[in-house]
Amino acid sequence: MTSKTTWFQRKRTRELALVVCFLLPSLAIFFLYRILPLGWNAWLSVHAWSPLKAAQFIGLEHYEEMLLDDDVFWQALANTLIFIACSPLAIAAALGIALLVNSDLRGAAVYRTIVFLSYPLMTVAVGIIWRWLYDERGGFFNYVLRSTGVIDQPMKFLQSFDWALPCVILADFWQVLGFYMIILLTGLQSIPQHLYEAARVDGVPARARFFRITLPLLKPSIFLCIVVGILNSFTSFDLVYVMTNGGPGHATELLITYIYKAGFGQTRFDYAAALTVVQFLLLVVLTVIANKLSGGNAGSLERQ
Amino acid sequence: MRRAPGSPRHWPRHAIMIAVSFLMLIPFYWVIKTSLTGENIYAWPPRILPVDPHLFNYVDVWYLIPFGRYLLNSTIVTAMAIAGSLLFNVAAGYALTKHFPGRRWIVVLLLSCMLIPFQATIIPAYLITSWLGVLDTWLGVALPLLSTIICIFIFKASFEAVPPSLIDAARVDGLSEWRIVTRILLPLSKSAIATNVILTFIWSWNSFLWPLITIRSPEMQTLPLGLARFLSVMEDTTGALFAFVVLVLIPGLAIFLMAQKEFIRGLTSGATKG
Amino acid sequence: MSRATIRRALGHRFVAVPLALIVVVVAWNVYIAFNDHGIIEGEVTDRTGAPVIGATVVFFERNFIYYEEKQRAVTDAKGHYRFSDMKTHIGQLEARTDDGRKSARRQLRLWFRSQDTEVAPLVVETPRS
Repeated sequence: MTSKTTWFQRKRTRELALVVCFLLPSLAIFFLYRILPLGWNAWLSVHAWSPLKAAQFIGLEHYEEMLLDDDVFWQALANTLIFIACSPLAIAAALGIALLVNSDLRGAAVYRTIVFLSYPLMTVAVGIIWRWLYDERGGFFNYVLRSTGVIDQPMKFLQSFDWALPCVILADFWQVLGFYMIILLTGLQSIPQHLYEAARVDGVPARARFFRITLPLLKPSIFLCIVVGILNSFTSFDLVYVMTNGGPGHATELLITYIYKAGFGQTRFDYAAALTVVQFLLLVVLTVIANKLSGGNAGSLERQ
Repeated sequence: MRRAPGSPRHWPRHAIMIAVSFLMLIPFYWVIKTSLTGENIYAWPPRILPVDPHLFNYVDVWYLIPFGRYLLNSTIVTAMAIAGSLLFNVAAGYALTKHFPGRRWIVVLLLSCMLIPFQATIIPAYLITSWLGVLDTWLGVALPLLSTIICIFIFKASFEAVPPSLIDAARVDGLSEWRIVTRILLPLSKSAIATNVILTFIWSWNSFLWPLITIRSPEMQTLPLGLARFLSVMEDTTGALFAFVVLVLIPGLAIFLMAQKEFIRGLTSGATKG
Repeated sequence: MSRATIRRALGHRFVAVPLALIVVVVAWNVYIAFNDHGIIEGEVTDRTGAPVIGATVVFFERNFIYYEEKQRAVTDAKGHYRFSDMKTHIGQLEARTDDGRKSARRQLRLWFRSQDTEVAPLVVETPRS
């Protein structure tokens, strides 16, 4: 009997060893590039460190400097929040397109592909395309506005303090619209049709059908879109870097571009780490708020 | 009462969608037009159609900038990322299909790692890469992409859909675990493999911030870096820059159109999870 | 593998598209290999179409934003000229005769460096006689 237990034990340990072996590379990558940086950021943000000197604990001095002395930080924070606040517009537009495309329209697949075509493009290329569209000499917008007589002088969109951020947001809108549409389409297609049939039989008008059936059942997809919208303000580094590089005068500076400039331009890794911590906290807080607003539990619903 | 697809009530929808499609395609058209035109692109008024169109801007771009070098760097980094990610994700996905103590904790850990965006990690990731000694190398650029959580879960779901009788039969036949994966599970998971490949390709091909941080020497630059550098260095009146943009976009678009279904499935699998 | 499986595998888009791409790239490079001796030739005529003998054709090479003279060739008895071993893909051509007549500057753009090309005739003014 002892030989049987040893055989069983060996098989279990073999299986465990296999699992560990297979999981190890992935876990190593995640540890190195996700978990460890999170902790390291927090550690760096409370120390004064440069590659030449040893680290020195300074407590919350970086945060003091950031919150009290740094105007660029507040500007970047405001810009990031404006960026995030514009994403519901994009989501609403994408919802409209998804509703139109979801019906049994002939050629819906073509429309879907055209709207989604902008998403897998290189964001740097998108930035250059839109920078050219906004150009005051050869750009599309100036051409249309001047040809139709709305303005007389060419308008320098990307160099104006008022228009630069909306212009960057519009460029991002163009790129991310397709992604929202795909997520919402998937959500729409998972709504069971019999609910609509039952409502139609009961004589519920179309508008009430939309608000009572469609919207609530789309909550998980909408929540995902909102999270993507928040993350978008982080990934828009490429767009801002190529289109305006934060200018004119920090009018389009986002938190992520400021982090890059502080960390790799001024080589102040510790201050950039503090900024990163603040940015991450912002992400967490906004996600939690979005979660609460969409009914908790990532928007998923209980069965009625 | 269902309406027939071609019925007249659909015309307003078609009209709106055509308008939307037109608006979405204008940037493409404007850039292609500028890359083909033979005139001074800054002259006012810009023409709607390219004046004296010619393809020689593309020839200029090929010789003016080290396009071949950028393409090579991007391709090598992407190939490494795809190969490595296939290996690691398949292994991790398979390991997660087994029941072992602590499995739930690992899954929770992975899901929470998904909440950490890459941009929140750039400073330490740079320091780690520098400490590993792979700064300014292809491996260093590909390293963060060698494993992604979405793909691990896609493989896990795909492997779990295989009937266990097949796996048990293979085990009785004496195949080792890795052989089971390659001989039985992978051939049945072709769409998961395609999704992994296309997602990793798009993320690696388009990534700008990470190569910007990691690459220090001009001859290791990838395509996005080359594009950004060209923008700041050249300011000429021809459409050469836009020919560069079109040349850069073509591989990405071609691969996307080839593998559209898998790409969309990969993106939305995160939506339907949870 | 049977013929049917091979045909099915080839028809799959993930195989057919890269294969087609590779075929195009190889064909293009083969074409380049056969046509890259750097020969630029053509003829100089006057407005009536008669060949101009002994005219000097100047080839200008692009140097960033302006063009500078690189090589000269003289037309033979049939009005033909020939540059060989050229290494550029963009340039300008101009024909000049001894008695001061000049043709318009012709912009020359090639598909690849050292491409063999035959240029359309450079036209100079007909001599007064």
